[in-house]
Amino acid sequence: MSHIEIQELRFTYPSRNAPTLRGISASIAPGDFVLLTGPTGCGKSTLLRTMNGLIPYASAGTLSGAVRLNGKNVAEQPLAATCRQVALLFQDPDRQLFCTLVEDEIAFGLENLGLPPEKIKNRVALALKQVRLPGFQARRILELSGGEKQRVALAAICAMQPQVLLLDEPTSYLDPSATRDILTIVKQLNTELGITVILATHRTRDVAPLCNRVWLMHEGQLCLDLPKAAAFRELTPYYRLGVQVPQTENASIGEFAKRANEKLNVPSRNDASPQSPMLDIRSLSFKYPNTDKHALKSIACTVTRGEIIAIMGANGSGKTTLVHLIAGLLRPSAGEIAVAGTALKRMKLHQLAGKVGIVFQNPDLLLQAETVRDEVAFGPKNLKFPPKTRDTRVNVTLTQFDLGNLASEAPYALSRGQRQRVAVAATFSLHPHLFLLDEPTTGQDAQHLHQLMDELCDEIRRENKSLIFATHDAELTLKYADRVLLLREGELIFDGTPDVAFAAPELLQQASLVFGENRAV
Amino acid sequence: MASIEKGKLAVDNTKLEPRTKILMMLISGCLVILLDSPSALLVCFVASLVLVALSKPTLRQIRLLLVFLFFTTWGLIYSQAIFYNESPRTVLLTLVPAELPFIGKATGGIRVYREGLFHGIVQSLRFNTTLVIGCFIVWSTQPRDLLLALVQLRVPGTLAFMVTTALHFIPVIANETAAVIRSQRLRGFRYLRLNLLAAIRGTLNSFRPILAGNIRHATHLGESVESRGFSPDTANQRTSLRTLKMGIWDFSLLAVLSCCLMCIVGLKMLYFCYANGIYYASWLRHAYTFTRELL
Repeated sequence: MSHIEIQELRFTYPSRNAPTLRGISASIAPGDFVLLTGPTGCGKSTLLRTMNGLIPYASAGTLSGAVRLNGKNVAEQPLAATCRQVALLFQDPDRQLFCTLVEDEIAFGLENLGLPPEKIKNRVALALKQVRLPGFQARRILELSGGEKQRVALAAICAMQPQVLLLDEPTSYLDPSATRDILTIVKQLNTELGITVILATHRTRDVAPLCNRVWLMHEGQLCLDLPKAAAFRELTPYYRLGVQVPQTENASIGEFAKRANEKLNVPSRNDASPQSPMLDIRSLSFKYPNTDKHALKSIACTVTRGEIIAIMGANGSGKTTLVHLIAGLLRPSAGEIAVAGTALKRMKLHQLAGKVGIVFQNPDLLLQAETVRDEVAFGPKNLKFPPKTRDTRVNVTLTQFDLGNLASEAPYALSRGQRQRVAVAATFSLHPHLFLLDEPTTGQDAQHLHQLMDELCDEIRRENKSLIFATHDAELTLKYADRVLLLREGELIFDGTPDVAFAAPELLQQASLVFGENRAV
Repeated sequence: MASIEKGKLAVDNTKLEPRTKILMMLISGCLVILLDSPSALLVCFVASLVLVALSKPTLRQIRLLLVFLFFTTWGLIYSQAIFYNESPRTVLLTLVPAELPFIGKATGGIRVYREGLFHGIVQSLRFNTTLVIGCFIVWSTQPRDLLLALVQLRVPGTLAFMVTTALHFIPVIANETAAVIRSQRLRGFRYLRLNLLAAIRGTLNSFRPILAGNIRHATHLGESVESRGFSPDTANQRTSLRTLKMGIWDFSLLAVLSCCLMCIVGLKMLYFCYANGIYYASWLRHAYTFTRELL
């Protein structure tokens, strides 16, 4: 069993003047389950990396203080030795898996430890059993769902039989059902094998019921370190930092929806006056090349001006495919999509500029200019707006999205939240009729996300445009969407108001959107 | 965007061992450098195509290979035909007469030379043979087997890992490049437009997110493997769940290729000695003729 002692830990990345960790001291007893939370950029990931030795071994910077594992300073022992005791699971399974077969992926760490093949085989089988994927040895990783991939990644580190498990936002790419699976497995590893768990997340609500200790970080410091029983008595620090707080009572999602609507006075679809459709989808089907299965089957719906629509569903249900089809990035196998009365199939991609705008799940794919101002001006420049109009539009957009003071900064030098804001502003500067947002919650804390959504929804409503966003986040849907489209295995199973959707548990079950029966702490 | 294009798992229908494939590529690389005759190079090229055919590539892979082959062949033949600078050279066609104002006067005329065309064909056959074998290896070998084969061939562990990781990144880069280009076009950017300077600037700008994305991917992957105990210092002490075993086909193929290589090296050396007046034997006359005409 491992005892971890963190003493006055400070770390500064080479490219930054301010330290990312500012004198963290804490202690973790063997078998503890620590929930590590805090706003984006507060240093959660950096802290986890110092705990398994990636900092300082794999990352340059200035480190002082110590992380002691059973009395030994992690920074003074070889990384390979620390890895035997402390394992780290990252947030995006696609970025940490690199083998073709499940068995090879799990065996990789064991081969590095120099174990004989027979032992490797046994450990692979055991690890797969632990993550509830027995018999998956010969499966191809490409064919697994997002949740299964993350379970394989977890198996790959569990096979090394660590004493401490560090998890960095392990569920941010997963739907509620896959999230529940991962968290249940982690809890089981914690209780049955006594593995110490430190889980960094923004989804406090999902993890709080499982942990026994809570760490709240802010600007590189541990501003709260309490046992769970005491951690949520006073919620002000969480609200102040914009961190999600767990439910303190056992409320149904339906009630939550009702309360959310009352509180925010969100106009429901019934209140909206009939208008011309902004988006018209008819009998839309789509199949990826070299696959037999339809990614989308006979989707039909319309979106009117001023509407804000959420697309929800499990991983692999077709949300991103639908968003990409609407943006014209994919061509339908059958059916038609029309934006503002014009069929997409008759248009080239550059002709859609100003009609449809999309921000990908990874906003960095949009950022190509040297400064934030150039990034926002890129679209208007391409559409040859007169210089005066262009400048006015760029300035207004920068102000609208609170980027005025960052206008001369390089987009890549900004934080993840700021980069997403720049990507949204750069897309918005063309004032598209239809704005598409793919999984805006990934890697974002509640405060940054809600701030961005508030600004975007305000602008969309003011200019009578439409917004469609794909998400797993029920709270986001309840707060911002007028309508929700529920997808299940490529089929549209519900098209209506969020309060109706969230009041029907069987519907949510079908769409794999139920996290658990009891989510209260 | 990674989910848009589902990659295809490398399936080896030829049942050749990865070490055989790597050695085969090295031997054929030497062969195409040694050979000068278009007919001999054509035989090598056709043999490499047969190899790809035996691995049963998908339609997409065939299309991709054809695109590669078209552009390399066209590029090499075209450039060699125009810029061939050896003597003698025979003008086949004049593209820009020397008397033409500006371009003609500045360049001294642009012409297509017969010897340049011939040289371009030879070079493209050389290049295409290795390209086809490279594609065959990548398409028919799982990265893990390739890593193991490289390590067993005494390639330093870190280098072997870098090679296999680079292969892993090819589809990732392709998908991200497509996403960046599409997002630029959706913001009104046109790659093919009259303002060449703006088009070049936009194209160069598109490298920024691709490069940054790749650095991020590489960092994440590096952290992932390092946190699973991979270390350059101990890479050669790793054990392996899989074992590679050469079969009769592997040994036979390597033996045939090695014999070919040794024979060609021997014949070329003899011919070199004869041509430079170093050594001549009349009973080797047929060998000299064979080398001159066919190799």
